[in-house]
Amino acid sequence: MPDIVLVQELGTSIAGGSVVCASSLSNFFSVPNALAAKALCRKKNILLHVRSYEIDDGDMLELARAGSAFVFSFSDILSESGFRRAILLSKMRLVLAVCRKRGTGFVFVTLAKDVSSMRSARELSAFAAVLGMSDVERKTAEKKLLSLAGGSMKPKKPAPPVSTQVKK
Amino acid sequence: MKPTERFKRRYVSFSLSLSGRPPNYAEAKEIVHVHFLSFFGENGVSSLAFKLVKYDAATGKGILRCERSCTDEAIFCMACLTSWKGADCRLEPHSTSGTIRRL
Repeated sequence: MPDIVLVQELGTSIAGGSVVCASSLSNFFSVPNALAAKALCRKKNILLHVRSYEIDDGDMLELARAGSAFVFSFSDILSESGFRRAILLSKMRLVLAVCRKRGTGFVFVTLAKDVSSMRSARELSAFAAVLGMSDVERKTAEKKLLSLAGGSMKPKKPAPPVSTQVKK
Repeated sequence: MKPTERFKRRYVSFSLSLSGRPPNYAEAKEIVHVHFLSFFGENGVSSLAFKLVKYDAATGKGILRCERSCTDEAIFCMACLTSWKGADCRLEPHSTSGTIRRL
């Protein structure tokens, strides 16, 4: 499963081609709130991460028109605990409902800052399911991430095996 | 009770580490039970058909049981565990199956 992390070393050493660092993506933007997000919504084909998970319907419509995607991050959940984590999950579900209503694309990634916050594909898939995404939506989100992240996320081809057969 | 009326169960294999080493059985049981209880609540755990089926303290690997429709939630719950009493803790799900033998 494709993933975006925040630290360069994680992207290169752990999973090869399918994990990329956010800093290497020119179209990835992480903003703290809806006000900061407003200025970015008209940019085309971007991945927008709003850390407060509060965004206007109109901005979401602009995102949909620009072919951009909203980013759901697993590390945002890990950084919270207890009641605050529950509120964050609730906000994520609300944003997902707005995404569906306005036809905005969305992706789910870890945005890990260290190795301990990296998660497997199965865990990310469970995260999407808990948010309320269907299997089809999960597949669409993966495709959307691959299309927006461009060539930096394509898995590297293994080196061709050296032939041991002697040509006659 | 008829088999069709019982909970439809799934078994999830996992590995548990506390500060980089596998905890003993009592510690592991406490971690798993307290974490699931805090995540699902009393009502949630009652409908989860939750049980720590097996745990090997030497390797840190174990199996837990949950209700079929709640498998994703159980795996998400496991992924949400990051620390236990100030120490780094990781509950990593590996595979899911309908029988213990297939894990």
